[in-house]
Amino acid sequence: MGKKEKLKKILIVDDEEDMIWSLKRNINKDRLHVEIFTAGSGEEALNVLSSNHIDLVLTDIKMPGMSGLDLLLEVKNRFPYTLVIIMTAFPSSEFKREALLSGSLHFIEKPFDIKELRNLIRQALREDNVFKGTVAGVGLADVIQINGLSRSTTLLRVKNGEQLGIIYFLEGQVVHAICGDLEGEEAFFKIMEFKGGRLDSMSYSDLPAQTIDLPVEALIIEAARKMDEAGFGHLSGYECADVDLDDEIVQKMSIPEFRGLNNGSGTDFNLTTGAQSVNEEDEMSSLKEVLSEFTKIPGVNTACLVGRDGFLLDSIAIAGIDTEMIGAIASNGFGASESMGKQLGKGMMSMSMIEFANGPIMLAPVGDDAVLVIVADKDANLGMIRLKIKKYAGKIAETAAM
Amino acid sequence: MSEGRILDIAHISFLDMIKVMITMSGAASAKGALIRNAINTAEKIKEVDYATFDDFLQAIENSTNPITQVEGKATHQGEFVFGLANCPFGPSIKNYMGVFEKLPEGYADFTEEFNKPSKVTEVYRVGEGAGVSPFCSVHQPMRSAIAEKILIGGKKIKIYQLGCKAGSGKKGLADRWIAETGVAREVVDKTLDNHMCCYYLKIID
Repeated sequence: MGKKEKLKKILIVDDEEDMIWSLKRNINKDRLHVEIFTAGSGEEALNVLSSNHIDLVLTDIKMPGMSGLDLLLEVKNRFPYTLVIIMTAFPSSEFKREALLSGSLHFIEKPFDIKELRNLIRQALREDNVFKGTVAGVGLADVIQINGLSRSTTLLRVKNGEQLGIIYFLEGQVVHAICGDLEGEEAFFKIMEFKGGRLDSMSYSDLPAQTIDLPVEALIIEAARKMDEAGFGHLSGYECADVDLDDEIVQKMSIPEFRGLNNGSGTDFNLTTGAQSVNEEDEMSSLKEVLSEFTKIPGVNTACLVGRDGFLLDSIAIAGIDTEMIGAIASNGFGASESMGKQLGKGMMSMSMIEFANGPIMLAPVGDDAVLVIVADKDANLGMIRLKIKKYAGKIAETAAM
Repeated sequence: MSEGRILDIAHISFLDMIKVMITMSGAASAKGALIRNAINTAEKIKEVDYATFDDFLQAIENSTNPITQVEGKATHQGEFVFGLANCPFGPSIKNYMGVFEKLPEGYADFTEEFNKPSKVTEVYRVGEGAGVSPFCSVHQPMRSAIAEKILIGGKKIKIYQLGCKAGSGKKGLADRWIAETGVAREVVDKTLDNHMCCYYLKIID
């Protein structure tokens, strides 16, 4: 390796000198290339943090004076880019929950295998193949989609003012969530209601529970539905810090907001993609341009806008698809679904999806007079389509207005 | 039951089918289906080129004009405004009313739907207030689509639906098309005094 690695700084905080001595001695084995600082209390640790750029704090919970959890809160407030691993000989689910909600990267129980700890540290400090930085204007749902697409096993900490929530992913699926006293789907939907805030993505070593088994797309659709009902109508507005986006994930994403992320190897960058996105929308003058936002989603091959009467208004379609005929049939299908909803007292229709062996067809009302028809392959990301429908329905209705 | 009250089964089936379509898929979808059918029928008409406008009028008189073959004889009121004395659906509507004394439910909604601005009514220059019954959504686009098969002196023609009159005598005027053609509203109104349907023919230069 020609490039000289920057030495990472670790601060060990424990009131037991033996523990500090042991950790200091063992962590630097196995070529971790770290500089180690120590502190015997939370207060002392804050002094060290103030005068050194510490990358990672490894702290005990039970200490005289400031506890490890108090220290964690201080670190997260004053040094938000510093990672924290909590150690304790007295594990409890409440401690663990509090630590994770407060932004702890990991929660490790004493006695622990030093190799395991070294691995956690190595993983935490790894940044040679990920991006770190700030992505303004990114939506929580978008980040969840990214994790789903990349089959990530990670936890996402979501903070909005005093509200905190954690979403656990296991190979891309949302498997658990906690928010205040809530757990499972209830917690997930509560987190999705947060209006903006801060996101931290981090790895976890121990899944506390598996309380959610709905697919990511279904969760997002349901969350969007609940937000519609509640009149929130937002799915974006987050500032995403420390979200690790590796090359593969970025390549998989089709959202324009994420394009451009995959163009460098540096680690510190800022994007103002939210504003760019708004400008792009302003510039979308033709219906085709807006429809192309859907065909950019991998697996979506056709996007049509048809009048409620079934006459085609505009379309982007792969060869061999008779869009005029799609319009006529979609009008019937949409009308039939809508009539059924009316008959059953279900109110206004927001979307209809028909699943076939080779993929789904999604129908969504656009304004009062048109229907958006999306034809997709079976592997297409339905959540992404759903999100884009929500995002662009107004724009399409406006552009299509006769 | 007197002969005048014998039900036209084909017609009532058609009416009921429209009602089912409205219930099943909504008025907009039903409207689209009827208009598509009408346009598809018009597509089957052979193209014809009349040397002059007088030849076009003579073909109406002779009942050889494709439009006349579908709706009966219209009368030229001057300045390319035509009046159609009888609605082609009139006898069927009368027959239905004779038996059931009122039109099926949902027809007013359907008519309202037809009159709403939409791409297809814009393309065929129909509706926009000129619809007075669900049958207008078949008749008016069909006439406009047939007109696309007719040339006068090698030039294409376009038809604008200016107004229509229901069996009750209530008139429906398409202000949008009246404004676009420049025909005086009074002319349309007066034409509808003695006719059921009023349209304008434009020869495209």
